Amino acid sequence: MDENDLNSDDEIAIDDDCYYDFFIKGDDPMDSEDAKSREGSGQKYTILNQADIRKRQEDVIAAISTVLSVSGATATILLRHFNWSVGKVHEAWFADEDVVRKRVGLLNYEKQLSDVNAGDRATCGICFDVYPRYRIFSVGCGHPFCRECWGGYISSAINDGPGCLTLRCPDVSCSAAADRDIIDMLALSDDDKKKYSQYLLRSYVEESKQIKWCPGPDCEYAVEFDAGGGGDDSWDVSCRCSYSFCWNCLEDSHRPVDCQTVSSWLSKNTDESETKIWILARTKPCPRCQKSIEKNGGCMHMTCNPPCRYEFCWICLGDWYNHETCNRYNEAADVEADKNREDAEKHVTKYTHYFDRWAANHSSRQKAIAEMQRVQSVQIRKLIETQGKAEYELLFITDAWEQIIGCRQVLKWTYAYGYYLPENEHTKRRLFEFLQGEAETGLERLHECAELELNQFLVDYGSPLEGFKEFEVKLKGLTMVTRKYFEKLVRALENGLSEVQVSGTEEIGQNFPMASAEG
Amino acid sequence: MQASRARLFKEYKEVQREKMADPDIQLVCDDSNIFKWTALIKGPSETPYEGGIFQLAFAVPEQYPLQPPQVRFLTKIFHPNVHFKTGEICLDILKNAWSPAWTLQSVCRAIIALMAHPEPDSPLNCDSGNLLRSGDIRGYQSMARMYTRLAAMPKKG
Ligand SMILES: [Zn+2]
Ligand SMILES: [Zn+2]
Ligand SMILES: [Zn+2]
Ligand SMILES: [Zn+2]
Ligand SMILES: [Zn+2]
Ligand SMILES: [Zn+2]
Repeated sequence: MDENDLNSDDEIAIDDDCYYDFFIKGDDPMDSEDAKSREGSGQKYTILNQADIRKRQEDVIAAISTVLSVSGATATILLRHFNWSVGKVHEAWFADEDVVRKRVGLLNYEKQLSDVNAGDRATCGICFDVYPRYRIFSVGCGHPFCRECWGGYISSAINDGPGCLTLRCPDVSCSAAADRDIIDMLALSDDDKKKYSQYLLRSYVEESKQIKWCPGPDCEYAVEFDAGGGGDDSWDVSCRCSYSFCWNCLEDSHRPVDCQTVSSWLSKNTDESETKIWILARTKPCPRCQKSIEKNGGCMHMTCNPPCRYEFCWICLGDWYNHETCNRYNEAADVEADKNREDAEKHVTKYTHYFDRWAANHSSRQKAIAEMQRVQSVQIRKLIETQGKAEYELLFITDAWEQIIGCRQVLKWTYAYGYYLPENEHTKRRLFEFLQGEAETGLERLHECAELELNQFLVDYGSPLEGFKEFEVKLKGLTMVTRKYFEKLVRALENGLSEVQVSGTEEIGQNFPMASAEG
Repeated sequence: MQASRARLFKEYKEVQREKMADPDIQLVCDDSNIFKWTALIKGPSETPYEGGIFQLAFAVPEQYPLQPPQVRFLTKIFHPNVHFKTGEICLDILKNAWSPAWTLQSVCRAIIALMAHPEPDSPLNCDSGNLLRSGDIRGYQSMARMYTRLAAMPKKG
């Protein structure tokens, strides 16, 4: 993503795969609304629904068809062969048309039907029945097949999968392509035609370099990404289905961590004995009564079942009220505790530390997403009744939940970041742990407030409960503070914690206990 | 079902009419079931199969000719693309490269061609494939010839 500013004022520059190169000016239909709106808002991607995709596909087909003076069906075959790259089609075609034609099975002449029974009747090469000429079809190569046999042949190819897009004449030694006009004319059912056109659409998305399907569950949108569009380096995409992902690696959004770290981390997780670790991540013994307790809320503040009711931190199992932050990995203490431990064991301990927190934030985020849906569908309505508020006056609650969901995602990935941050980079580690701890503490407070303190206002006492205003002020404040902390954290990690080298930076260095950290 | 029956019946008539046209192939339809065929093919000359007569069994599916027939050797044969125990044949046109324009007769011709030109890279018979791939052509030929003599030639005496 170093080709930062390829944009000039009124053109959208995309790499040579795109046909903007050839049709930037004039009445090109693609030089249009979404492309412009995308540029205007600085957003580097466009969400496409099925109709948008089809339109784009038909536009490139029309463009090739005009420039090469071939039918739309022929243009389709060419584009599909060259991964829907207009540039590549042009290049190959104008370099050597005959080679291209041969490779994709396009004839440059029409042969008469070849048949032993010359005259006005021909024998179908599949059923071997004799038909009058008008019931016999060939794809231009002269090999005769009747309408019914074509229909069966096409249908069986379509039901075999996307290979039907490269369908050839049934004759065993013939490579003439059967294009989409033939399919349209001879397919047996509308169902077959629909499937074929769906394969064609999918091929456009899956084989072109700039569009990918949204990996969200059951999502039918595709996302076109303009990597040369300037702006920051983020690949983050937020689909209309509400799924957010990294367009580059298709994993969950993972700012501020790069794709490489994500992929190492994820494959590491599958390597480590996952079941054991997952159980570890979901149930723990209460540090006081030792009864196994399962995490069900999203925040890390745990309260053991009655009669124990011990309140502790899910992550470090420390007493909740004597507890500031616990994000810091204390390597020294670990070594101290058992000097004889093998390196490997140390590694596992370290890994478990980060994995635990990564996984806990992951599931906490999932729960927050579910909770937010409940808030939107049920709780807001209740609050309108019990507190006599208007809907817009309650937006601060959903704002808070959105903030929680976003922050959990960031926090989760910072634990993968922390795992890979070299241990000998002491100053960076300290800065990292400081910023992460600050952000985490803020988020825990926000999450707890949103999750627990809201409940009291849901009960209908006949009149609005006092203290709602205070709750609102508190939640808004926590939302804002948490956002600031996370912005700071993300910025610092995306800069590779470079503030450390440039000593004396104002904002980040401000609260960071540089001096005392040596001790 | 109707279409496959009609097509097989046409092939049957063609076989009867052209009986002498291809002396290397003798296709026979089961008396009671038009979906079951057997063929006797001659081992191609200048191959270790020369002089042998090999029997093939065809099981034709109801979707024929949109789907390929299943074919296997009934006669033991030592060939990289034929399973030594089951007689199963690895040949692209019997799988993904099938076209409804193939007939049982032309499938037999393709199998004869495969006997003459083995594809050691997609072996069903690993011993045979390994001999060929390691360049031990004589080893492969003598094994193949031995099995041709043992299994595909009429017993003398
Ligand atoms: Zn026909
Ligand atoms: Zn043809
Ligand atoms: Zn989506
Ligand atoms: Zn990524
Ligand atoms: Zn307890
Ligand atoms: Zn803790």
